[in-house]
Amino acid sequence: MNILASLQPQLCDKFETQAFDLKRDDLAQVIVEKKIWRAVMDYLKEEAGFVTLLTITCTDWIEEERFELNYIFAHETKRCDLMLSFSIARDGESVQTLTDRWPQAEVMERDLHEMFGIVFEGHPNLASFALENWHHTPPLRREFDTLAFVNEHFEFRKGREENVDVKAEAKRLRALKKAKAQAEAEAKKEKGADDADE
Amino acid sequence: MKEGFLIEQERLEHEAAASLKSSGLINDIIRYFRKKSIFVLAYGTGCGAIEMPPTFTSRYDAERFGIRGAATPRQADVIVVSGYLSFKTLRRIIHTYEQMASPKYVIALGSCTINGGMYWDSYNTIKQLDKYIPVDMYANGCMPRPEALLEAFIALQKKIENDEEPSGWERYLENIEWYRQNQRAVLGEDIKPAYEADWYTEGR
Ligand code: SF4
Repeated sequence: MNILASLQPQLCDKFETQAFDLKRDDLAQVIVEKKIWRAVMDYLKEEAGFVTLLTITCTDWIEEERFELNYIFAHETKRCDLMLSFSIARDGESVQTLTDRWPQAEVMERDLHEMFGIVFEGHPNLASFALENWHHTPPLRREFDTLAFVNEHFEFRKGREENVDVKAEAKRLRALKKAKAQAEAEAKKEKGADDADE
Repeated sequence: MKEGFLIEQERLEHEAAASLKSSGLINDIIRYFRKKSIFVLAYGTGCGAIEMPPTFTSRYDAERFGIRGAATPRQADVIVVSGYLSFKTLRRIIHTYEQMASPKYVIALGSCTINGGMYWDSYNTIKQLDKYIPVDMYANGCMPRPEALLEAFIALQKKIENDEEPSGWERYLENIEWYRQNQRAVLGEDIKPAYEADWYTEGR
């Protein structure tokens, strides 16, 4: 039997899950509340066999004022992945770090801290990762306006003088070509008529 | 019978020789050797780095023009900035460039170095390389083929031989304040190297 399908009743029995969404045979999403996520995760690791942490991602639901954190796990022996999700407030809410269970969570959390500004409690080193000296809004938050930032910080090189609108130019050339072909065809026709007359 | 690459080589070298202007025997000799021993720093930044291995290995064999790789910045004459530069890489590039011994040259590869290329609206990459370090030669395209890179090298050799305009490192020394100002604008105040070398204070 499919391991994810059989996991569903067990998990829903044991914990108050908000949703269990079987997306595919080998992929499911569990949504829980923030206060029980560590317990659910421990259960998944110790009992259900989801021993590998693949990645941590974050979804920015700016309209609902929340971040959704998604922890994606892979099963020990079966080919299936499970995503554990919970929401936190966009501002001022921190999350416990996962580095005590999976050391590889260090870089993932550091990345999330840098890109979304989420604080992970107990993380050994939340220093900057791919961006250096970044003092602006964390760039993957949706209120960050990339284009405005670029326009403010960079100058663009001027285009060439003879710079033409590529689309318009292509259209013009196509029209020219068509007209030429038409004229040729007509000339041929006339010539053919002349030949026939003779 | 000659093979294709030999014909190509002849053409390129012939062009270079045709445009030569003499400026005294000693200078000519110095320039000849400078031109024929270009050591390129093996450092890749953007996607463009992938075009350098074929340029330097057997398929395009840049060594027939006297162009080959160097392991460290202190031994290198040319740095090829191969594509987009994030702020983090730019800092390293500046650091590396300042470690190189002059005469030194910069070849910028790809449209990203000219006007941002397809990263024009990215918050984390610079748009015009020549605001931060002086560029001697551009090879445009996204990405340029090894042939284009080779032609850029030949054009650079011509430039070295003719010595027409102040080369990049001379411009860098002259306008260091302007370059530093631009660098500070994107990198913040703590640009390495923080030392004040002779050449840095000399012009003031
Ligand atoms: S110019 Fe094109 S190939 Fe080169 S670094 Fe930019 S995107 Fe990549």
